[in-house]
Amino acid sequence: MALTLRERFSFRRFTQGEPPHHHTIKLNHRRIFILPSKAGLALAVVILLMLFTAINYNNSMAFVFTFLLAACAQVSTLSSYKNLSSLDLTLTKTGPFFAKSVNELSFLVKELKGRERWAITASYDKQAFTFNLEPDQTKTIKLPFTALKRGWYQPNTLTFSTRFPFGIFRAWSPLLFKQSILIYPKAINSVFSRPVMNDDDKQGEFTSEQSGADDFIGLKPYQAGHPYRHINWKAFAAQKGMYSNQFSSQSSAEYWLDWNDINHLDKEARISQLCYWVLESEQQGVHYGLRIPSTEIPPGQGSAHQHLCLKALALA
Amino acid sequence: MKQEQKTAEKTPAILTKLLLFSSFLLVLPHIGQLNTLFIVFSLTLLLWRALAMRYPQCLPKKILLLPTAVLLVLFVLKEFNMSLGRDASSSLLIILIGLKMLEGQTKRDAQAVIYIAFFILITPFLFDQKITQALYSLALFFILLIALIINNSNISKITPPAFIRITGLILLQGIPLMLVFFIFFPRMIGPLWALPDDVSTAVSGISDHINPGAVSNLALSEQTAFRVQFKGQQPTQQELYWRGPVFWKTDGQQWTLSKPPKLPVEINKKIADNRQTYQYTMMMEPHQQFWLYSLDTPIKAPPHVELTGDFQLIAQRKLSRNISFDMSSSTHKKLTSLTSDDKHRALELPDNTDPRIKFLVKQWLEQSKSEMDVINQALQFYNQQFYYTLTPPSLGNDPVAEFLFNTKRGFCGHFASSFAILMRVAHIPARLVAGYQGGMYNKVGDFYTIRQADAHVWTEVWLDNSGWVRIDPTAAIAPDRIQHSIDVNQHQLNGEVKYLLTAPEGLNKWSKNIGSFVHSLDYYWQNAVLAYGPETQLDFLSNVGITDWTQMVIWLSIISGFFVLLSLTSLFISRREKNDPIQKLYLSFCKRLAKQGGSRYPYETASAYFQRVAKKYPSKKQALKKIEHYYLNARYGHGSIESLKQALKRFKHH
Repeated sequence: MALTLRERFSFRRFTQGEPPHHHTIKLNHRRIFILPSKAGLALAVVILLMLFTAINYNNSMAFVFTFLLAACAQVSTLSSYKNLSSLDLTLTKTGPFFAKSVNELSFLVKELKGRERWAITASYDKQAFTFNLEPDQTKTIKLPFTALKRGWYQPNTLTFSTRFPFGIFRAWSPLLFKQSILIYPKAINSVFSRPVMNDDDKQGEFTSEQSGADDFIGLKPYQAGHPYRHINWKAFAAQKGMYSNQFSSQSSAEYWLDWNDINHLDKEARISQLCYWVLESEQQGVHYGLRIPSTEIPPGQGSAHQHLCLKALALA
Repeated sequence: MKQEQKTAEKTPAILTKLLLFSSFLLVLPHIGQLNTLFIVFSLTLLLWRALAMRYPQCLPKKILLLPTAVLLVLFVLKEFNMSLGRDASSSLLIILIGLKMLEGQTKRDAQAVIYIAFFILITPFLFDQKITQALYSLALFFILLIALIINNSNISKITPPAFIRITGLILLQGIPLMLVFFIFFPRMIGPLWALPDDVSTAVSGISDHINPGAVSNLALSEQTAFRVQFKGQQPTQQELYWRGPVFWKTDGQQWTLSKPPKLPVEINKKIADNRQTYQYTMMMEPHQQFWLYSLDTPIKAPPHVELTGDFQLIAQRKLSRNISFDMSSSTHKKLTSLTSDDKHRALELPDNTDPRIKFLVKQWLEQSKSEMDVINQALQFYNQQFYYTLTPPSLGNDPVAEFLFNTKRGFCGHFASSFAILMRVAHIPARLVAGYQGGMYNKVGDFYTIRQADAHVWTEVWLDNSGWVRIDPTAAIAPDRIQHSIDVNQHQLNGEVKYLLTAPEGLNKWSKNIGSFVHSLDYYWQNAVLAYGPETQLDFLSNVGITDWTQMVIWLSIISGFFVLLSLTSLFISRREKNDPIQKLYLSFCKRLAKQGGSRYPYETASAYFQRVAKKYPSKKQALKKIEHYYLNARYGHGSIESLKQALKRFKHH
């Protein structure tokens, strides 16, 4: 991907990274920057002192070793660069996560040059992890992070850096990924009971056959999202395949989680409450629909349905 | 936050061991150079740290360590009168590294220890710059780099092969850059600040006063005083008189330096006209004196050095570093006039000259017709009654008289000083010259080594019709001394004066050849590396047209910049990323297609991309399908590259 001249000389490149990139990012000379570290500046002072000594005594061998130290320090930038370059980085797990909980951002690092890599630090939001790589190794790096707000989360700059070999230079590469991460709202139960479950006035909407809630009515092929406790393990054990038990209540239990039922809460609290109910309903294996001002999701069940509901809430 | 975590990490045991090991090796060369007390301090601290590796409970508390450190530093500074010279700073550094080893357990501390170690690495060179020390330091430098790498990689157990390889590579890349800096970095004459006089700078060599027994401590020293390489004609062994300080003044006990006479301009011209000259390069070891040595009569002084009226070379500063300079000299006597002032000085006698001396000289004067006769009488006197030895009996208050009339045993110092007194009594102007006589020729390197054992003292007398003439009374007693060098080893074995006479044979010859080889190695080291100073640098760089320090700085930047570029380009020549020819064809085709149908996204497969292009240009659908087929077949199946080429060619004509 070519950079415009303006992008090429923008200061952002050095701190935050180039404009976000969608896929795998390869670390190369364009993305890696090198500057002396604090320890490097300290070494510069030592070299200067040594140089003064050499000049003062006009001592050839003192000159030789002072210059040798300076030259090796200079040349070590190449090793720093080689330690970091030609790594492929991919953002692998992109959520969804829940807001305000500790999540793990996970990256795939792939060594491309058949070289050993030492002490590479991946840091994200003040969290850092240091690792080594074997030649041609692919490694998953997980960094904890917390998203505070629901909705689309744009990952910040992920920085890969190294002080190898001498600790006097820090080579770093700031990376921005284009992938957005969906953050579900935080589930908070502030009402404690679903009004729809207990309120008789709502019977019209809530068409549950409470008495026969667990009547077995037959089997249907297992699909992802069916509750685990409904799996017919007998059939599975007999190697007949995966089936889910069907109960009469399941097919008929159908209710709406409605925005307007919890009028007394403010917007974020309502969203958190609805989120809690969605998770609870899904766990109980009932059919539920979601009604919020922006959308209405007809009753359904399963992880895909749950995701649909939570996404709607996240973006509400 | 993360950085603090990182630097607060404890150093792995393997690194502590390595640092202790290299610290010991760093202190080692200073044994014998620095005050033993400070070496004991340093080694004790290091041993303490080594013990603490096994018994961690005996590590000192930080509260205790800080005052101890302050006290130690103050103690060292007090010993050196609060001035930071070579000895003081070396002592401080070796104690500091011991303290830091005891104090620090973290990575940051280890980094500091290594930095101190780099500084200590150059301190032995302020005392002595031998090849062996250089190699020793280079090995230590290598170990310290490895320690740095270990400290900055998160490993707990060592993996030497990888780190040794990386260090070796860095060192190999660093050496050329270092050489560029060494050659082009502008050297300055003189120190940046005044150096305190270090006690142990007292080096052996001829001192600024001569008493009859002065040279005896030098006579048995194998140490090199200087080396000489002649260009073209070489003088004979008997002509190798290396003149140093000239003494005019004596109090009867010893001869001391006085202000030398100025060189008249017309004399200067006369010397230059002399055809009988020798061209040579002098490479001198530091001897902490103002004068330089030269063969017999120097014709022209090197830059910043004064040529005096008695043909001494006097530098502006004491010689405290290795230097090399080109010289030309003449061994022929020059007729110059003697000013009345100088004549007076050359005849001055000590107050209490023994009457026996006066009586002896009076006898000679009565029997002689010319000054030359008197000189010959004196030489004969020595030849008949005196005995050459390096272990003469000690002399009392009036050494000259005692030597002439009682002991009659001695060496050059005794002969020359007494001869000068005799001449002055006979009213012949005389002065004492100290220097070296002879030298060992090295066949391998084609140069002479002049050792301290070659130190010599002789006289020069003024004859009205031939000027200042060198008279060496030692030659009258022990002519062998002038023709051959003293064999130091022989003398140490049985106390007899033996000379390096015959060419050795057999095993001796071999050992001598090896000796010559080692000496010539030392000579090149001396000549090319150690003597590379302000003068030699200008001399060397003027060959390529660089004449001042601004040009040096410019060339230094250009060449080192070139090196950096060179190493950078090596990064882009990648070995593993060569595409196979099929992929190359495919990628170049994609580039061509991009101009018409939009570029390929990096994640797009060939089929997806071609389909997208085909949607835009339905007419090319068939051709693209074919190319896709051949490409996939060639790359992943058994298809040939030729069919792909043909398909691509056909596409061109569309």
